[in-house]
Amino acid sequence: MKFTDIIALAWRNLRQAKLRTSLTITGVIVGVAAIVTMVSFGLGLQDNLLKDALARIDLFTSITVMGPGADALLAMQDQNQDGAANANGDDNGADASNGEKSDGAASTTPEATPEPSPTPARMLDDPAIAELQSISGVRYVLPNFSFSNYVRFEGRTRRAFIGGAPRSVEYNPRFKKFLAGHHFASDDAREVVVTERFISWVRSKKRINGNRRRRPGGPFQVAPTRSEEERAREANGILGKEIILLTLREQNSAPASVFGIPIIDVSSNEISGGTAGDSSSELGEQYEERVYRIVGVLKAEDGFDINNFMETDMFIPLEHAKGFREAGLDPMSRMGELLAGDTGYQNAEIRVADVSQVDSIKEEIKKRGFRAWSFTNQVEEIKRVFLIVNSALALLGGISLLVASFGISNTMIMSIRERTREIGVMKAIGGSDGEIMRIFFVEASLIGLAGGALGVLGGWGIDRVANTLANRWILKQVGQTVRHIEFFSIPWYLSSGAILFAIIVSLIAAIYPAMRAAKVDPIKALRYE
Amino acid sequence: MAILEARNVTREYRMKAENVRALAEISVAIERGEFMAILGTSGSGKSTLLNLFGGLDRPTSGEVLFDGESLAPLSSWEMSRYRLRRVGMIFQSFNLIPTMTARENVSLALAFAGLSKSERRRRSLELLDRVGLSQRAGHLPSELSGGEQQRVSIARAIANEPQVLLADEPTGNLDSSRAAEVMEVLDEMRRRDSKTIVLVTHDHELAGRFATRIIRLKDGRVIAD
Repeated sequence: MKFTDIIALAWRNLRQAKLRTSLTITGVIVGVAAIVTMVSFGLGLQDNLLKDALARIDLFTSITVMGPGADALLAMQDQNQDGAANANGDDNGADASNGEKSDGAASTTPEATPEPSPTPARMLDDPAIAELQSISGVRYVLPNFSFSNYVRFEGRTRRAFIGGAPRSVEYNPRFKKFLAGHHFASDDAREVVVTERFISWVRSKKRINGNRRRRPGGPFQVAPTRSEEERAREANGILGKEIILLTLREQNSAPASVFGIPIIDVSSNEISGGTAGDSSSELGEQYEERVYRIVGVLKAEDGFDINNFMETDMFIPLEHAKGFREAGLDPMSRMGELLAGDTGYQNAEIRVADVSQVDSIKEEIKKRGFRAWSFTNQVEEIKRVFLIVNSALALLGGISLLVASFGISNTMIMSIRERTREIGVMKAIGGSDGEIMRIFFVEASLIGLAGGALGVLGGWGIDRVANTLANRWILKQVGQTVRHIEFFSIPWYLSSGAILFAIIVSLIAAIYPAMRAAKVDPIKALRYE
Repeated sequence: MAILEARNVTREYRMKAENVRALAEISVAIERGEFMAILGTSGSGKSTLLNLFGGLDRPTSGEVLFDGESLAPLSSWEMSRYRLRRVGMIFQSFNLIPTMTARENVSLALAFAGLSKSERRRRSLELLDRVGLSQRAGHLPSELSGGEQQRVSIARAIANEPQVLLADEPTGNLDSSRAAEVMEVLDEMRRRDSKTIVLVTHDHELAGRFATRIIRLKDGRVIAD
């Protein structure tokens, strides 16, 4: 008998007992829908965490590249580490000076030869940054020069995160998204580019009326929905205003000067921790004020504003920033930098377009002689945890499919009892045991296929309803519209896998009934009326 | 050479603790083109003999031969092919599949032989025409009279052109005129297509009218030939 005829026969048999068949299929639908809903929730969670939230926080799309300056620091801190031969330091021509300086640092402490790694990193200077930018898949490279400093704006003072940025930004797409205004005019302009984070601080001040100073934008603050025009208007309003950066006035003896800006010992920094702005007149005596004019507002990245946590409030020209930072460094770090000499940037943050590229780009960076570090190992760890969670969820859903499989067995045994005579006839007119068996296996797989397909559809439906309700609930709780969150994920492998699994389970459930059908004795089956 | 032959065939059944001997060392040879009637009371073993000839059953001892070849070594699958191609069976209770139309019932036998759908359609109509039922092709068995149903089952039995037709009380459920009709059809098969007919019946009158040879069974033995 041809296979198509077997399918036709099986189909006919199922249609003959419509109610029984549909009830059996319903059992499978429930089982498959349970699996799909459970697993899609797990996968959705994983997606939200990995692709979405974490990708936005830029933890997993960022690679930190470290220059030799960082080496010197590490060397200072890890003196106990038994270092490899420091001669390696001279191998690299670019690092020759650095190597010598490191030696100098070592001589201050007996015996220890600080050498954190066999080959010191390459100098992380502007050409290096440009080179990193040229690696394919790199979104941008931001030389890391952020520091915190007191700033005064419209009569209020706070501590702000300030970054240094070069004037030439052709390799830095980040500075192309301006909500208002433009970039610095030159590398030593007294100009500042602020971020939307800064604006939200200004706004929150206005609302709170300056009574209690709350840090704006906690890490998981919900981004208020403001139209782009609204944000642009706000940004335009702030252009041209002045921000005053405060540095401590030189009070101590033993001033060190880097980039012409005095370094102040932290021990004399009595105002640290004091609430800024309490008495700005008094502070004014201790602080030197440097006035910067706001020339541009950078556009925040879309979506959840988790970035608030990591982001800087404003950028000033790089050379200025270097000076400010020297002033703000703790003595240990400053010493490290001094010893290391001109080592370029300490580190740079690279953002990669896609999480999956992080590893390959990291390797590429290492190949070019830099130190690179990223969070990708953690991604693998998280994926492994989710695999376990998803398997557990699938198992839970699988229990209902197991129950459904008993339903399939039951239905088929019933149907074989009813059709014993028919089976006997088929055998008498030339049907083989195998053909009889195949008819029942095909019946079972049709049940599995129909139940599986409808079950996936059902699971998808449940997901949609649950997702809508969940989003509505969040809206109610938060009181603000958040970006619509997708809690469930049904990738193709889940839907096809669930259908396949339903078919396999149905086939297993049909083994016993099909064998029983094949064993029907035609003489007995045909004997009685 | 005999087309069908039973050699020293014994068939025993186990019923509860007892062994029931349905056939006791029976030997019968049926020649090609014969219309042989097997007569006997119920329990005489005549249906058992027919089932052995039909490849539905295997003897406890002795052997059944078709065209000189023993059926004993055939596998279960080969036995099913034997039933499909070599013999056609007709039953007292017709044994048509009630949910299939006359044509579908005939088609089923053709489907087991692997014929394509269009071939089956053509051939099944042809077969129903042979038994005078081309007008009733689309009817379910329940919509047909007993005689018509039996003619459908004859059409099904000859679907794959077997040389032997095995009929187990084909007229048992029919009134005498319908019974005669069915017997006519069988007789015509023998005369026109030179099929061998083996008829199990307890109707002496019908057997006498159509059979070319009559054997009588009693308690699993041939008592008259």
